[in-house]
Amino acid sequence: MSRRGKFVAGGLVIVAAIAYLIWSGVSQSVVYFVTPSELLAAPVPSKTYRLGGLVQPGSLKWQPKSLDLSFTLSDGKASVPVKHKGTPPDLFTEGRGAVVEGSWTKEGYFKASLILAKHSEEYKAPHDGAQPGYKELLKSLRGDGTR
Amino acid sequence: MIPELGYGATVAALVLALWGAIAAAVSARTGRAALLRSGERAAVGAWVLITACIALMLYAFLTFDFSVRYVAINTNRGTPFYYRITALWGALEGSIVLWSWMLSIYTLIVVVQYRRRQPELYPWVLAVMLGILAFFLLVMTIPAPPFERLTPIPADGRGLNPLLQDSGMITHPVALYLGFTGFTVPFAFAMAALIVGRTGEEWITITRRWTIIAWYFLALGLLIGGWWSYHVLGWGGYWAWDPVENAAFMPWLTATAFLHSVMIQERRRMLKLWNLSLIILTFGLTIFGTFLTRSGIIGSVHSFTQGSIGIFFLGFLALVLLGSFSLLASRVEHLRAEGALDSVVSRESTFLLNNLFLVAATFTVFFGTVFPLLSEAARGVKVSVGAPFFNLVNIPVFLALLFLMGVGPLIAWRRASAESLKRNFLKPVLAGLVAAAALRAVGVGNGLVLATMALVVFVAGTIALDLFRAVRARRRTGDGWGDATWGLLLRQNRRYGGFIVHLGILVVALGVAGSQAWSVQTEVTLDKGKSVELAGYHVRFDGLSASEESNHAKVTGAFTITNGRAGSDVLYPAKKFYPQDQNPIAAVDYRLGFFEDVYLVLGDFATDGSHATVKLQVNRMVSWLWLGGLVLTLGAALAILPEARRTA
Amino acid sequence: MRASRLGWAIPAAVVPVLMLLAYGFKTDPHEIPSPLLGRPATAFSLTTFAGAPVSLEGLRGKVVMLNFWASWCVPACYDEAPALERTWREYKDKGVVVVGVDIQDKEEAARKFLAEFGHSFPNAPDPAGRVAVSYGVYGVPETFFIDRKGRVRFKKVGPLSDEFARQHLDALLKEPS
Repeated sequence: MSRRGKFVAGGLVIVAAIAYLIWSGVSQSVVYFVTPSELLAAPVPSKTYRLGGLVQPGSLKWQPKSLDLSFTLSDGKASVPVKHKGTPPDLFTEGRGAVVEGSWTKEGYFKASLILAKHSEEYKAPHDGAQPGYKELLKSLRGDGTR
Repeated sequence: MIPELGYGATVAALVLALWGAIAAAVSARTGRAALLRSGERAAVGAWVLITACIALMLYAFLTFDFSVRYVAINTNRGTPFYYRITALWGALEGSIVLWSWMLSIYTLIVVVQYRRRQPELYPWVLAVMLGILAFFLLVMTIPAPPFERLTPIPADGRGLNPLLQDSGMITHPVALYLGFTGFTVPFAFAMAALIVGRTGEEWITITRRWTIIAWYFLALGLLIGGWWSYHVLGWGGYWAWDPVENAAFMPWLTATAFLHSVMIQERRRMLKLWNLSLIILTFGLTIFGTFLTRSGIIGSVHSFTQGSIGIFFLGFLALVLLGSFSLLASRVEHLRAEGALDSVVSRESTFLLNNLFLVAATFTVFFGTVFPLLSEAARGVKVSVGAPFFNLVNIPVFLALLFLMGVGPLIAWRRASAESLKRNFLKPVLAGLVAAAALRAVGVGNGLVLATMALVVFVAGTIALDLFRAVRARRRTGDGWGDATWGLLLRQNRRYGGFIVHLGILVVALGVAGSQAWSVQTEVTLDKGKSVELAGYHVRFDGLSASEESNHAKVTGAFTITNGRAGSDVLYPAKKFYPQDQNPIAAVDYRLGFFEDVYLVLGDFATDGSHATVKLQVNRMVSWLWLGGLVLTLGAALAILPEARRTA
Repeated sequence: MRASRLGWAIPAAVVPVLMLLAYGFKTDPHEIPSPLLGRPATAFSLTTFAGAPVSLEGLRGKVVMLNFWASWCVPACYDEAPALERTWREYKDKGVVVVGVDIQDKEEAARKFLAEFGHSFPNAPDPAGRVAVSYGVYGVPETFFIDRKGRVRFKKVGPLSDEFARQHLDALLKEPS
């Protein structure tokens, strides 16, 4: 084989190896977005999904001692019970949109390993005066005497 | 007043930039010097006007002028003084102003440096740079004007995004933009060289320092971004393969490839087409990165979205890529290689492999970033591609690059004999293997760490060997070890600056490998007075306190950390409540160490202070990333020193 | 020449990439729906800044665009205010009522806001924030589209555009009362 041919062949081998890595990487780590309706229509246990919906008001339960967080995600048509271990991220509460990543369990709930809460740039939350509990929070903590 | 003045200045600057670009181009074609002088004056004028825009905006920020929409959105009466200044580049419109300003300064430097030294290339360089500046000014005029008026004038502004109220966010955009805009200069020279037909090594030699400086600032910007992510976002990581991160990483990868492959062209007059393509690609990727982060086409944790700005950037990107590649294609006959590859085992070949891997990594990152778009376009299915994909492909590629980093500087040009290979590499290879075996012997089982360690020792070994031999040779002229080393570093500053940069990369590599392999974390709810143990650290929850800052309220937890060896310390992770956001933002507290960092994030807490949920991390080797950055800085500084005097 | 064909292949290869990126403009982020959709809108009874009463009961049979705003809501409420007024002027004779509810605001600042934008549709303060809470209002601006039968049909979070208003009002107006 000519010198040039050797180079090209060597280069092609490397490119092929990387292409193979990319292909298997994509098949392994691509995560599908689903809504609650889509998930419940055909849930596949142990497959990783990203589930997006609204956190149903009244469904959020947080156990500080055991770090168990549970809530329901809904898209207006269907709802999915979700369980997560650990504190939720800061932008996460009832009545707001959220996307969770995890998998469906055979026991009938979605086990979330990751919670991503949506944050809108242009939207503004109510002002300090009416922020529920914020001022009371400060008062109660100051009264604590630790500072 | 200010919105109108600022807008007027922007439009005037745009007109000047356009005029200057046209004047310079026409003067290049026709040789009329008066037009060129006019173009230069236009460049100066544009810089003056953009500086005036910045001054006006800063004045508006400092005087709480909420009639300026940008000021009203990004600050409020409680925003601290220094953040009111840095809010200038904190959001979309302001970031374009910063970009334009840097570009105008670089253009002036080009004017001063090259108007006499490069009479043939200079007019085209000026035309291209002013043309690019005109585009950014156009963006400042139409889709993203920073000087819009807000009526009626609100009593108070909204406030700076709390995540941006941090020292990392002050410096990160500046460093990154110095990098991005810096590549405009080599690109402009490449275009000029193609147009004029001087496609030899000239344009490379002239712009060598620009390339190193831009490359360095981009690397610095990436590292500062990692630092910001690490100490602000509360997840304990420094890189998430987020589309916005990837957007800045891609041009850095191709710039690294470019930095190396130009050395081949300088020595062997080969790879001309390749080098021109690389600089076009690098510049294109800087525009692509800006497009990605501002158009909203890929969802990301930190993209800003705006209406039509994406279309402007895509249009400009199309113009740049199609225009420059077409120009390149039309000049292909001028780009014949004058040398050829003699052997697979040679420096040329090693550098080529280096380029191949870097471009493959770039492609991988690009593919993974746009795959969601591709999937939706092709199959209508919405997907996301996470970190596992990028790590799976890129880790082997980066390890291969580490290996090449050791081989490249020492292997012979043209054809390396078996003998020279043995002489240069046997000892370092053995050292690497021994280091890995030693690590294994003390119980390190992680494959990634072992491989990285072996490669790092190998590369360090080659650098040490080369330095030792060179200093020893120099000593024959009678210098002591110290003088010889110092003299060598200064005399061959390009080479040894590069070696020090490589050392910096080695330090970063060790940091990445160690932190991925050895960091541990736990999350627990502690009652007051109770503690938890992780990796030898005892963390006890002492209580909560509340305080009010100028623009937020804060709940702080006090946690005493004890470690048998290091004594005890108190950390204060907090939750900050900003009035403009319904939910609080976590303020991480940490103690940094050479080998490990202790990192605490306050989660949920009881309002009576009886218990608190805390995430505790012991992150290993993360400080090595920042240290590596320091070493990189030293190396880059050495590399760009002006050539040593002729005397020994 | 082989070399020049290779040369032109490069710009040619760029085109499909650019097209893919352009496609990206068509994709929309997921809209997350409100649990109120399809349910009867909560009744409210308020007094406008002009002193007149306004209640949901009194608007039965009309399509109602209920907008929550505040003068401190910068810049979003400022951005959509002209669109709200334009929509009102265009649709007031078609059986649509635009009602603005001002939450957690100071009266003086609110009146100044209304005067500057020249709002001619009814705007009322929500003193205890009760109406906002009953609609699950999380922030401002939020706009609810209520049909003739008094059910919440659409919800817009963030500033409203003329097109969005037009599109949804036309849809609701087509329905029988």
